[in-house]
Amino acid sequence: MSTSPAIHLDSVSKRYGSRTIIHDLSFSVAPGEIVGFLGPNGAGKTTTMRMIAGFTAATSGRVTVAGHDMATDNVSAARLVGYLPERPPLYDVLDVSAYLRFVARVKGVRRAAIRGEIERVAAACRLEAVLDFEIFKLSKGYRQRLGLAQALLGSPEVLLLDEPTAGLDPGQIQETREVIRAFGTDHAVLLSTHILAEATLICQRVAIINHGRLLAIDSPSGLQRAMEQTNRVALRVTGAAPALRDTLLAVDGVRGVDLRADAAEPGVLTVDCQVDARDGVEAAIARAVAGRFDLHRLERSQPTLENVFLRYVQESPASGEAA
Amino acid sequence: MSGTLAVYQKEMATYFRSPIAYYVVAVFLLGSGYFFLYNIFLSGETAMAGTFQNMGVLLMTLAPVISMRLLAAEYNAGTAELLLTLPLTPWQIVIGKFLGAVTILLLITAGTMVDLIPLYLFGTPETTTILAGYIGFVLLGLACLAVGQLFSTVTHNQIVAALLSAAVLLAFWFVGHLQTFQASPGVRALVGYLSFSLHFTDFIQGLVRTEGLVFYLVVSAIALTLSVAYLQWRR
Repeated sequence: MSTSPAIHLDSVSKRYGSRTIIHDLSFSVAPGEIVGFLGPNGAGKTTTMRMIAGFTAATSGRVTVAGHDMATDNVSAARLVGYLPERPPLYDVLDVSAYLRFVARVKGVRRAAIRGEIERVAAACRLEAVLDFEIFKLSKGYRQRLGLAQALLGSPEVLLLDEPTAGLDPGQIQETREVIRAFGTDHAVLLSTHILAEATLICQRVAIINHGRLLAIDSPSGLQRAMEQTNRVALRVTGAAPALRDTLLAVDGVRGVDLRADAAEPGVLTVDCQVDARDGVEAAIARAVAGRFDLHRLERSQPTLENVFLRYVQESPASGEAA
Repeated sequence: MSGTLAVYQKEMATYFRSPIAYYVVAVFLLGSGYFFLYNIFLSGETAMAGTFQNMGVLLMTLAPVISMRLLAAEYNAGTAELLLTLPLTPWQIVIGKFLGAVTILLLITAGTMVDLIPLYLFGTPETTTILAGYIGFVLLGLACLAVGQLFSTVTHNQIVAALLSAAVLLAFWFVGHLQTFQASPGVRALVGYLSFSLHFTDFIQGLVRTEGLVFYLVVSAIALTLSVAYLQWRR
C-alpha cells in the first residue's frame, strides 16, 4: 500500500462569485486512517467533500486523491473513490440490485464479479432483504444504507462519507459505524458528521472547520489536551458582582471571569473563570472567595470534545472578518 | 465505451420504469396515426409526404418531453452528484443519455411504420421517397433531442428545460417563413439554411441532400458539445 496521502488538500480555496466558501484549506488523510470532519451547518464540509470527490473543482490550490490531481485527472481518481453525498444519490425508479449493478459497472467492477460484489456490500449494509425492492419504496434508513453500499462497491481506496448515519436508528448507527471502522483499517476514510461521539468513537483524527477555515486537526484526545491549556472553573457565589470580579481576577492563574446573575435565585451569581492549566488554581480561588463571599459550589471542568468543538467554532472569525 | 453503455442501459431502465416513454410513444403514434388517416382521405394519394410534415411538427413538441429529464432530473434528485463523481467522462455521460433518448425516437419511428401497411396494401407508394422521409425524420429527431438535452443540461427544472427546448425548436422550425419578409439575399439564404422544416421538406420529397444531412448532424454535434462543455464548466 502506498504511504503517500490518500487525500491531500494543499491551500485549497473555493469561491462562488465574490463569496469565498473555503479559505486556504490544507490537510491530508493517510491510507488506513479515518478522519472526522466536524463543523456547524454551512461550515464548508460538504463543499470540501465535493471538491475531493470531483463534483466541483477548487478555485485555487490543489486537491489530490491517491496521487491524482482532481483538476486534471478526476476520472482516474474517481475509480479509487467511494462517495456518499449528504443526500443519498438514488434512482427511485430502479430496484436496489439494478442500481448497485449500474454503479458497479461504471466503477469498473468486472462483469463476472458484480454479483459477488453486490452481495458483499448488501451484507455489510444489511440490504439483503430489499435487493428486489424499487428504491422509492425504501425507508429513510434503507436509503441511507443503500447510499453507503454504492460507495463501498469496488472497495475504493478512498471513502468519502457526508453524514453517513443521518436518518438511521441507534442499532443501524452502531452497525454502520462498525462497517466504517472495518473499512477504515486499510482504506482512507473522510467522514463528515455532526455527532461528536461518532468522531470520538471511530476517528483517529478530527478536523474542525468553520466559515470555510480549518481550525484544528488532531486526534480527539490531542484536541482535548490542547484545550486543557486553558481550563475552566465554574462557581456559584452570593455576593456583589464587581467585588467578586476584582477578587477573582486578583488570583494568580485566573485569566478571565464571566459573571451572570442566576434568574432563579436572586443574589446568586454563576461565574465562569478561565484559568491556567496547572494544579492549585481552584484551591487559590476557593481561599480568595471563602472569607468574603458565600460560596455554594466550585468545580473545575475537563474539556470534552464537545467543549473543544464549541470553543473552536465560537472563537473562529466569521468569513468576511478573517484575513 | 463500457461507461457509455452503462449510462445508456440505466437511461433505458429509467425511461421504461416511468410513464414518460409510454406517454410520448402513445401520444406520438396516436397523433401521427390521426394525421396519416386525415392525409390519405383528404388527398386520396398513397404517399407519406403530408404525414411526415405533421410528424415533424409533433416532434417539435414531443422531443422536449423526451429530453427534458436527461440531466435536469439528475440535478433535481441529487443523482448528478453520483453521476458526475463516478469514473465517467462528460462525453460518456452525454452520449449515453443521448443514445437513450434516440432509442425512444427510433421506437416512435418504427411505430409509425404501421401506417405503411395499408399504404402498400392498397396502393403503390414510392419506396425511395418514403425511405428518404424516414431518414429525414430520424435526422430531425437527432437534432431536436440534442438541443433538448442541452437545455436539460443547463437547467435544474425539467419543465423549464422542456419549455425552452420547445420554444427554440419551434423557432428553428418556423424560421424559414421569414424568407418571405427578407429582401437581402444573404439573410434569406441564412434563415433558409437554419430552418429545420425546409431541410426536412427536401427529405420528404425524396431528396437526401448532403446539405440537409450535414445540417442536422452539425446541429446535433454542436448541441452535444455544448452540453459536454457545460458539464466541464460547472465543476
